[in-house]
Amino acid sequence: MTDTKTWARVKSPWVLHFNSGACNGCDIEIVALLTPKYDVERFGIKLEPSPRHADVLLVTGAVTHQCAERLKRVYDQMPQPKFVVAIGACACSGGVFEGNYSVVGGVDKVVPVSAYIPGCPPRPEAIIDGVVKLLSAINPPKQKKQAGAPKAEPAPIVEEVKQNAQ
Amino acid sequence: MPNSVDFISLVQSKFGDKVQIQKGVNGEASFVANNGLHHDILKAMIDADEKTGITSITGLDFGENLGIYYHIHTAKSFFTIKAEVPRANPKIKTLTDIHTGATFHELEVTDLMGVVFEGNELNGHFVLPENWPDGVYPLRKDINLSSVKLVPTPEREANKAAEGRQVKIIIGPQHPALLEPEKFSVTVDGETVTRVEPRIGYVHRGIEKTTELRTYLQDIYLVERVCGICNPAHAYGFVGVVEKILKPAVPERARYLRVIAMELNRLHSHLLTLGHAGLEIGYETVFQYFWRDREPIMDLIELTSGNRVYGSLITIGGVRRDITSEQIPKIKSVLADLRGKLPFYRKIYLEEPTLRLRMKDVGTLSRTDALKLSVVGPVARGSGVDMDVRKDLPYEAYNDIPFKEIVYDDGDVWARMNVRMDEVEESINIIEYAIDHLPAGPIKVEVARSVPVGEAVCSLEAPRGELFYYVKSNGTDMPERVKIRTPTFANIPSFLQTAIGESIADVPSNFVSLDPCFSCTDR
Repeated sequence: MTDTKTWARVKSPWVLHFNSGACNGCDIEIVALLTPKYDVERFGIKLEPSPRHADVLLVTGAVTHQCAERLKRVYDQMPQPKFVVAIGACACSGGVFEGNYSVVGGVDKVVPVSAYIPGCPPRPEAIIDGVVKLLSAINPPKQKKQAGAPKAEPAPIVEEVKQNAQ
Repeated sequence: MPNSVDFISLVQSKFGDKVQIQKGVNGEASFVANNGLHHDILKAMIDADEKTGITSITGLDFGENLGIYYHIHTAKSFFTIKAEVPRANPKIKTLTDIHTGATFHELEVTDLMGVVFEGNELNGHFVLPENWPDGVYPLRKDINLSSVKLVPTPEREANKAAEGRQVKIIIGPQHPALLEPEKFSVTVDGETVTRVEPRIGYVHRGIEKTTELRTYLQDIYLVERVCGICNPAHAYGFVGVVEKILKPAVPERARYLRVIAMELNRLHSHLLTLGHAGLEIGYETVFQYFWRDREPIMDLIELTSGNRVYGSLITIGGVRRDITSEQIPKIKSVLADLRGKLPFYRKIYLEEPTLRLRMKDVGTLSRTDALKLSVVGPVARGSGVDMDVRKDLPYEAYNDIPFKEIVYDDGDVWARMNVRMDEVEESINIIEYAIDHLPAGPIKVEVARSVPVGEAVCSLEAPRGELFYYVKSNGTDMPERVKIRTPTFANIPSFLQTAIGESIADVPSNFVSLDPCFSCTDR
């Protein structure tokens, strides 16, 4: 049963996008993923509007104080097991807004994060790479035959996605 | 309309010695007007020119006094009315009774600077977080922001249920129709919208305050991150205003390269919105088509600036990268491809019955209301107001480049989208012309790191409309005050008005026709 669930999750992860106070740079790149050039639906990834149906939460932005409460609420509404991907420099650490009076500075200060994709903004290829790495970490090929996959959430995986910027 | 009104003589003759006139400061002139005269001056200016409106209101901290600068635009020029109020009793008369467009600007100054506008008082917070303590104003100079203690979120009016048979529907902050977090409480009677209350500030990152803590060079990268869609416009807004104080001799080639960067940005932004509007009415094919054709433009931006989104091309004194002769054929072929697809897209937006049904006569904003609310950009041009900063106050190379100003008179969602559709073609023309007429020479001059004491304003036509920057420098390498007025901030009031009386189902398409950008709005 666990294997089936993992299989279903890895083959068809539904992602929820939450902007926690981002500049739109990362957000537009996430939307660009759905369009013909990048087309993430070939990995079974579907953008899902409701937190209750989502497996993966894609968070962008440095998390403003006004959004922090809402981010926690959206995370709590998602069914277990759930994964959070912090997209962009702001979501990873606060980025240029680190230390500003109205930002918390980083998604991991509010909800646990499974993967970090740095970049300002990360290229669509980098986001695909990050999400695919997260998926393969959930279901590593070698451990497939081991009985009783961990039920709890996996330990946070830090992904360094090489960014081809500037 | 030619600018026949001489506002300086008008103010001089009407107010005489009561108003001090500083020529050439912050636009054509600044009027120093205290004791409520700001109200009378604006009234006289609106009576003289119907296109007069408030672009922005800047709050400044002078120590003993708080300054309030009203940046006024007229048909073809810029003015500033300077007023001061004592810090101990910061109260000034509101302008909302003569110009509705002032409402949001006044509320923002109240929230961030603590100036009370009598007749337009703020209940709770406007852009600051709800858990921000009352009575702490981040833009004042004496505030130690690290010692601010957040308070538990109080329950405000907007969260309470509507009365009677009306129902309150909360759109946002996390909502499929909004890519960004912002809350709109829409009250409906049946399916008809009766009231819209916005709560902005979900993306407020305190950029205006942070610019005061960094150097001018660092600030370019910071203000670019106000908005991930129209970042070259923000970079130019800041650079343009600093250059007005520094006065470097920016090379001609750089002026053309800046225009190319800003027009490529307009192209990708308009294609994005034209597609997004399709998504909001459930016409996903349109979305996929436009976003498919937006990608080659993103490639061009990457080719010319080095990155898809944040190219950081524009810098003080010029640009950081040149367009080489090898790149020109590639740029031209991509633009020619896009031009070839335009007749098909134009046909969709002009004739497609589904689009017409969802967009025609939806969210109609009359010309009078557009002027009263001081809306900008495609929203104003869709309502028959011929306002385009590129034509009215040409900056950089726009003076040399021929292009058409697109104006539609219908005032509805359909007209606003068609303004953008036609501007796509104009942008292609501008880029092609600029490439063909690119002057030779250097692309950058060296500039000093410190900026002498001064102040200036700069306004430019960003993809979403007029973007306004005000910078006050104090002789160091960090600015004293930076004010950013973004186009969406000026356009949201029009949505609050046009949505009323229409179906709740039309709210998304009406709203997306403003091309809203909340990260711009909140800063």
